Amino acid sequence: MTDSLSLPQKVRRYLRSVPHARGTTLSLLLLSGLLATHRGFAQSAADRTEISKNPAAASGKGFTLSDKDRSHWSFLPVQSPSVPTDAAHPIDAFLQARLKAQGLRPNPIASKRERIRRACYDLTGLPPSPREVEDFDADASPNAWEKLIDRLLDSPHYGEKWGRHWLDLVRFAESNSYERDGAKPHAWRYRDYVIRSFNADKPYDRFLREQLAGDEFPDPSPDAITATGYYRLGVWDDEPADRELARLDALDDLVTTTGQVFLGLTIDCARCHNHKLDPIPQSDYYRLLGFFNNINPYKNGGPTDELELFNSPAERESHRDRINELNRQRADAAGRVKEFEIRIRQELARESANGTASSDAKTKPTEDEARRALGPDTFATYAEAKKSLETLQKQSLPVEKALAVTEAGTSAPETFILLRGNPNLKADRVEPGFLQVLGGLDPVIPPPGKNAKSTGRRTVLANWIASRDNPLTARVMANRIWQHHFGRGIVTSPNNFGFQGDKPTHPQLLDWLASAFIQSGWRMKSMHRLIMTSAAYQMSSRGQPEALRVDPANDLVWRFNMRRLTAEEIRDSFLVITGTLNPKMYGPGVYVDIPKEVLAGQSIPGNGWGHSSEEEQARRSIYIFAKRSLITPILESFDLAETDRSSPVRFTTLQPTQALGTLNSQFVNREAGILAKRLQHEAGGDLAAQVRLALYLATSRTPTEKEIRRGTHLIETLQSQEHTSPETALKYFCLTVLNLNELVYLD
Amino acid sequence: MSHFHPPLSAESRNFCRRTRREFLWEAGAGFTGLALTGLLNLDGFFASTANAEPTAGKRVNPLAPRPPHVPGKAKSVIFLFMYGGPSQVDTFDYKPELYRLDGKTIAVKTFGRGGKKNEGRVVGPKWAFQQYGQSGKWVSDLFPHLATCVDDIAFLHSMTADSPIHGSAMLQMNTGKILSGSPCLGSWVNYGLGSVNENLPGFVVMLDPTGGPISGAKNWSSGYMPATYGATLMRSTGDPILDLHRPEGMSEAVQRRLLDTLQDYNADHLATRPDNSNLAARIASYEMAFSMQRHAPEVVDLTQESTATRELYGLDDKRTEDFGRRCLLARRMVERGVRFVQLYAGGAHNDDNWDAHGDLVKNHTYHAGRTDKPIAGLLKDLKQRGLLDSTLVVWGGEFGRQPTAEYAAGTGRDHNAYGFTMWMAGGGVAGGTTVGETDELGAAAISDRLHVKNLHSTVLTQMGLDSDTLTYFYGGLNQKLVGVEGADPIRSII
Repeated sequence: MTDSLSLPQKVRRYLRSVPHARGTTLSLLLLSGLLATHRGFAQSAADRTEISKNPAAASGKGFTLSDKDRSHWSFLPVQSPSVPTDAAHPIDAFLQARLKAQGLRPNPIASKRERIRRACYDLTGLPPSPREVEDFDADASPNAWEKLIDRLLDSPHYGEKWGRHWLDLVRFAESNSYERDGAKPHAWRYRDYVIRSFNADKPYDRFLREQLAGDEFPDPSPDAITATGYYRLGVWDDEPADRELARLDALDDLVTTTGQVFLGLTIDCARCHNHKLDPIPQSDYYRLLGFFNNINPYKNGGPTDELELFNSPAERESHRDRINELNRQRADAAGRVKEFEIRIRQELARESANGTASSDAKTKPTEDEARRALGPDTFATYAEAKKSLETLQKQSLPVEKALAVTEAGTSAPETFILLRGNPNLKADRVEPGFLQVLGGLDPVIPPPGKNAKSTGRRTVLANWIASRDNPLTARVMANRIWQHHFGRGIVTSPNNFGFQGDKPTHPQLLDWLASAFIQSGWRMKSMHRLIMTSAAYQMSSRGQPEALRVDPANDLVWRFNMRRLTAEEIRDSFLVITGTLNPKMYGPGVYVDIPKEVLAGQSIPGNGWGHSSEEEQARRSIYIFAKRSLITPILESFDLAETDRSSPVRFTTLQPTQALGTLNSQFVNREAGILAKRLQHEAGGDLAAQVRLALYLATSRTPTEKEIRRGTHLIETLQSQEHTSPETALKYFCLTVLNLNELVYLD
Repeated sequence: MSHFHPPLSAESRNFCRRTRREFLWEAGAGFTGLALTGLLNLDGFFASTANAEPTAGKRVNPLAPRPPHVPGKAKSVIFLFMYGGPSQVDTFDYKPELYRLDGKTIAVKTFGRGGKKNEGRVVGPKWAFQQYGQSGKWVSDLFPHLATCVDDIAFLHSMTADSPIHGSAMLQMNTGKILSGSPCLGSWVNYGLGSVNENLPGFVVMLDPTGGPISGAKNWSSGYMPATYGATLMRSTGDPILDLHRPEGMSEAVQRRLLDTLQDYNADHLATRPDNSNLAARIASYEMAFSMQRHAPEVVDLTQESTATRELYGLDDKRTEDFGRRCLLARRMVERGVRFVQLYAGGAHNDDNWDAHGDLVKNHTYHAGRTDKPIAGLLKDLKQRGLLDSTLVVWGGEFGRQPTAEYAAGTGRDHNAYGFTMWMAGGGVAGGTTVGETDELGAAAISDRLHVKNLHSTVLTQMGLDSDTLTYFYGGLNQKLVGVEGADPIRSII
């Protein structure tokens, strides 16, 4: 086995095997991750020996915390550092202190046009309309920028943009993956809950408590119930090879997602053994799992996965009353019918005794028999009674339901450490508990109340995570907010604040942001205002020769980072530019047309994919039904988040198949045709005016004369040299515009 | 491509702008620093395009070819996926005892979709076996053509997998994991080696005409890796790649004019942002797309193939035409540098694939009948062209089938992941060899037990990649195709 090699042996072997690597420095190996890999190996081999000698060692018993472990930066309490005096805005002060030390100067403020575009995409995921650009341009007041930010934060599109970041993190999808990839019931309500929560500026501590334990709130609101859909979003195999393993895999998904999303820690690495890199013993993993162990396994529907939603206890009461009333009416009606039937049977029995007819008392009387026995008038009353019973039986009292979590009662099963993660190798029993490195207190779990339906364990966990004393929660979320404004986090591994994660580039700034976040009452919108009013956020993204030489990666934030639009932003922008975006919010997922070549990849082409009207298909991408095995091509091509695991950072790949899609696909060509019609409608018959409008819509800036001439030249050449009709030539120009780098890259 | 850039130069650090995992991806690394070498390579693309604009940006192609860890025997893989699970005892795993036991109920542990059982009624093999080649390999009458190739084949009789259920077993055969969401074998190969042909994808999947396998795209996705490493579906007739063809009515000349105009706009945009290499890369990607449109259809144009070649693959027979065409396309793709080609024999559900729960004879006669000659043709053609040594051919399903009947009556067999047969040929694998055994019933592997991971490790090894050091940093861990425990390649056949 290769694992048995020592680290130096492995490095030597590697250097031998790779001619180029000879003479390379240690830093190269570190950079490449090679040492990290081999460190993992070395420990793996050692661990295995340890397991064979002493099984208990693997279960966390041999684990001791060192001072170094406890003093890892992200485990220390959040500090409130004093703000340097270098600049008016605290964020700029922190950044400029570092820049000065390197002899660098921050970029100047970007143009108004660049800034409004940046702000609109960052807060709403949509480009500004020409009117919005003009208004902002014309607003010479000193607080024009602040007004713009406030206006965008008030836009309902804000929740659609920032909700999407959250959906990436919690592996949101509306189907289960695997053979059937069946639809999860009401999963869209969770998506809507997230959008509404962001729009309402719900405090983050409440937002996370709702998702982890909303069902355990007193008189939980529909939001609190819907939020717990968080637990039901993962993949699910309806015919696992090993049921107990599948149950543990589902719990592992919860430990993994909860650890990475809320705490920025890969606690899941301690499922089979003590964490290789972070000070997390295997026992910590199972103590955390203990909070979830009583959750009813997912079944894709039914009373353990779907809960009814009521706005108040009174509403629940009144629904119950209506059901009782309906049941009473049903019983009454059934009683009336029964009375008639007794009469009929008695009558028929008499006939039978007289020898005039035979009758079987056990079977229901036929219509003829009933008519004969009752006579025409009474028969009519009987028929009416029967009909009324049928109607009542068919009647239902629909009530909205949500995908939600439930537990198997108020007492939890025991939780055991599993050696090597194997369900058959139970070691010590553990009680729910927090991470040792963060203090590791054994939580006190209050006895469940009289009407409780669950253990209350998740509430205890949620409160611990949501505590302002938890050193990770506020830091992790403040970092995510920064990440989605600046294109990268202060910690560039947003789901990993552990030893293997990246160190913060500006630790003091991160702590300052985290404490500001808590002080704001965990309000996201305050953070957006705070960050976006800094000079750093408003800087130009252009290069400076000296800064590019000293800090090409922009670690010190001397400029704003350009970014490519996300998959949704690209598709949604096309709809805005063509003027067809349907701003309708919320509700069940939308099915856009998917080419038959892509549907052919399914074992039953088209299975589980509906058809929505053209108007519905023009809605924002966040409303497209999230089917794990069938992703809309343009979204997949531009790096939609992977749906099966928490996805903290979107890739931005560059591949020729993207260009094929935006040049040749039916969708983009259709959009180009619609844009051409819009130009004709809004810019009149003047070609230059049409070109000007198209470029303006795509870039939010007035094009130069040269750029306009380039467009008109193309349209005229296509007609004169390629015999293209005027309409088609304009459409082709529109197709060109939809492919501009300036459209998909933000300054 | 052999020039080496110090990775901490300003230039290379340019790529380290986002998360660590993204950096590692953009650097194409995670396993060795030398992968940076290939990535920082400029292939002179800008100088050669019709619309050459001097740009300061350097092109970063994540699929640029990279040297292997050690020189590999194979350059490409053709994975013939017998979806549904062929029965080993009716194909290549000769069990003479089993004929005698036909109809008898015996004690045998099985685990299939019908759950775990301790006894069952034996269904004797429905085909006779004969010995072939110098190796004297026993092959059933289902494969008269393939039987003539046994001396080029290494048979793996002791394969095992973790699940006897299609969904999870398919995922494991393709990604190593029974859980959804991990990259495929083909993704790992392209991640490790890149692709040498920019006009074709590096990882191609061709489906059965009856439809995709269950779980659809999950079987060829890049999981937690960037989409760059996912497979491209190619079709054997019509438009081979989605959106490869220009919109109806748009000539190449028209499109060229559009692109020239687009690139003029893009060049102006780039001029004031010259340090952003992504802008230049996106400009280049349009030229690559244009070039793909020209060259990719050529690969599916079989008019260039001789009548003899077409007949070798069975293109003259309706029964074998479809799979034969796809086998021939696979050869044409590996000739053009495609790293990983996967062909599905069987699609959709039930008897549209090898999933013989009902009438075993009817099912296997059909599926063997339409693939036997094409596969033999592929092996012979690769050999006569000198391509077999550099092309690793893998044959098998997600599991095998049980020696006993699934139901009280009939010949249908349930799934079996305790023991089944796969085979490999070419790519430096020793032909005429056999590894491992199942018990005398063919129910479970008993000697030299092999796991799917060993198969994956062997594929990587033959491609010059080390399955223990080919890692991708994700979720706080250096992920491997073969999992944290690792897996050895099957040394006795390499």
